[in-house]
Amino acid sequence: MLTASRQPVGSPSHREQTSMQTHCCPTLTGCAFDAQNLISISLRKIQSSRTQRGGIKLHKNLLVTYVLRNARQFYMSKNSLQTQRTPPYEDAAAVHRRQEYIELTGSFTELADDFYCNFTGTESDTWHCGAHQSSAQPSELAHQDASACAMASPSDSELMVSEACWSCTDKSSWELPILNAQANQKTVLDLDTHVVTTVTNGYFHSDCCAQPKQPQAGAQCYTRKRKMDTSYYIVDPEFYLPDFVPCKRMRSEDDDDDNDDDGDDLQSDSGQLDSANISNLISVLGSGGLSEFVSWQQMDLEQIFGTQTICLKHTLLAGSGWTRAIEAF
Amino acid sequence: MAGKRKLSERPGGGSSDVQWCFSQVKGAMDDDVAEADIISTVEFNHTGELLATGDKGGRVVIFQQEPESKNQPQCRGEYNVYSTFQSHEPEFDYLKSLEIEEKINKIRWLPQKNAAQFLLSTNDKTIKLWKISERDKRPEGYNLKEEDGRYRDPNSVTTLRVPVLRPMDLMVEASPRRVFANAHTYHINSISVNSDHETYLSADDLRINLWHLEITDRSFNIVDIKPANMEELTEVITAAEFHPDQCNTFVYSSSKGTIRLCDMRASALCDQHAKMFEEPEDPNNRSFFSEIISSISDVKFSHSGRYMMTRDYLSVKIWDLNMETRPVETYQVHEYLRSKLCSLYENDCIFDKFECCWNGNDSVVMTGSYNNFFRMFDRDYRQDVTFEASRENSKPRSVLKPRKISTGGKRKKDEISVDSLDFNKKILHTAWHPLDNIIAVATTNNLYIFQDKLN
Repeated sequence: MLTASRQPVGSPSHREQTSMQTHCCPTLTGCAFDAQNLISISLRKIQSSRTQRGGIKLHKNLLVTYVLRNARQFYMSKNSLQTQRTPPYEDAAAVHRRQEYIELTGSFTELADDFYCNFTGTESDTWHCGAHQSSAQPSELAHQDASACAMASPSDSELMVSEACWSCTDKSSWELPILNAQANQKTVLDLDTHVVTTVTNGYFHSDCCAQPKQPQAGAQCYTRKRKMDTSYYIVDPEFYLPDFVPCKRMRSEDDDDDNDDDGDDLQSDSGQLDSANISNLISVLGSGGLSEFVSWQQMDLEQIFGTQTICLKHTLLAGSGWTRAIEAF
Repeated sequence: MAGKRKLSERPGGGSSDVQWCFSQVKGAMDDDVAEADIISTVEFNHTGELLATGDKGGRVVIFQQEPESKNQPQCRGEYNVYSTFQSHEPEFDYLKSLEIEEKINKIRWLPQKNAAQFLLSTNDKTIKLWKISERDKRPEGYNLKEEDGRYRDPNSVTTLRVPVLRPMDLMVEASPRRVFANAHTYHINSISVNSDHETYLSADDLRINLWHLEITDRSFNIVDIKPANMEELTEVITAAEFHPDQCNTFVYSSSKGTIRLCDMRASALCDQHAKMFEEPEDPNNRSFFSEIISSISDVKFSHSGRYMMTRDYLSVKIWDLNMETRPVETYQVHEYLRSKLCSLYENDCIFDKFECCWNGNDSVVMTGSYNNFFRMFDRDYRQDVTFEASRENSKPRSVLKPRKISTGGKRKKDEISVDSLDFNKKILHTAWHPLDNIIAVATTNNLYIFQDKLN
């Protein structure tokens, strides 16, 4: 259970001892575990910053998202090497469907190793992942990931640092073109139906519910009752972190953004998504370092998403209520 | 002040011929530090006579240097408490459900114009102008009031007298004269008084505002880096300062390691910089944390106005305002931490914002580090030295011994290994007397004052 305890300034937590141990490779060539660990730590920092006294620190969270981006890019580059060994999809349509999903390969326990965002620029119109909407090539997935994910900007809380950071278009040697992941198995969670599904070879087994018998070998299903928490609409005053975003609103010129009302932002420019695309799946990020986030029994789903995800896109479907999807990076 | 020795009278004025001695330490000696007592800013006034500190509890403590004793003309006066007041209180923004910390982020003194002293203090949201004045006389002999303040029955007054001023014990009063509020959405990180002595700037993460000291109900926004789409945010403002002489010029640093110099004569909104100072990143040092360690935590103009100094996580850089492509000098503060960045990230130390300062004649710069170490870099002699602020080294007039950090291999005697550094003890705030070799170094909750040894 994540708790945000307020630490005195200058006093790292007891767990975070002052003695330095080089258990992490600070260079890009560091091991995958370090990147995974960093992602876990970063998400935890973002989560804890939401309860810090004095409000969320924009500067610090911006820097944390940079670390997340860097770690994520490293992960994706690693995954591209792994997934290239897997057989290609037979069904292009299935591949296309999958492109909106966050995918994790392998069994649940193996999901700890990697996670990535896996959709193309063309499909991302509805996701509105920032600057890379024009980028429709699967091979440019890496760049897509660097773009901002859509988030509403209620009131003045447009300090969506997390996803804002993803819009950094600074190119570096780290950004490697990532092919669409062609995983054998992926475990996903549909926020709407609470169904945990295993996707195998690009085929989406939507009938997989949260029962142990459905998952493929090695995969685990989880069910989680989603609490309808209307507090989603209560936005952090200035700095809105991606725990929930009702909708995305394109910023227009405004002079009084400091006084924006939360209620003005319940609009969506993403209604184009059809219900099929939105089974806006949420992959359970079962990384070893993130396992604490996946304590379904203890944590409110909202909290889980808030800690697991970097940006959250909310799409309003006409007449079909809210559907939510989480994009990790 | 009698006895002030200008740095120009001393050869070099820097660390090459200076022996630093412990002078005083202020603050509680308890190891258990109350969060409210954590020092958050330190600032000398323009003469060096007054030394102001702010803490996380929103209090300001001002120390005054005592005049030099006639019996000991070679000894500088000590700093004693002059005034203490509560500058900011915790507030709650009900509209945004946001608590506003009372922590004093910055203090800046105004140039003295009369008998009173003025300073600006700021927390995350509100800047206040304080007047610190002395009262050493009080009126006596009122007709309608008793000496204790009780009002007399007018019918009992049979004679009239003229009240007279009589001496009293010195009393220092601090009164808020101006409150500059509601102009910053984001957290204020800097304030800087202009050389025109009429205006000042305040900077938060995304905007910089220009104020007039007499006008509290409005300010001019002169820099706004908030993107139309917050998803495109890539950097924030980390520090800002006016040029010491040119009232139209100011600089602001960013989390990306850039410094922008702006000229207010060019346009009302200085989003277009006049100069941008940036050093290309060394690709060999690229890491997960490159963005963090390149973020500038402090920027300070030299007294001459020709140079400026920036502090990032691992280094101090001196920039010539005439050259934007790279700094003219770079000093590594604690390069041995480069291999520890992951751990420093985990325990949040990597987010520490170290400040830096110049000495009076711009020949030496100083900044803090961990383990209560602080570093001085002599620009003229290209020497650097590390000192420690600790109670153990706090014997009166004891000479500070340079400290060495063992970065690898066999640790020599008296060296400290990197792994044994205490990252709970950090010196973020330092200040150098504008005219003399007196420095104020803030540990977590103690203020150390060191001065050079006088022969």
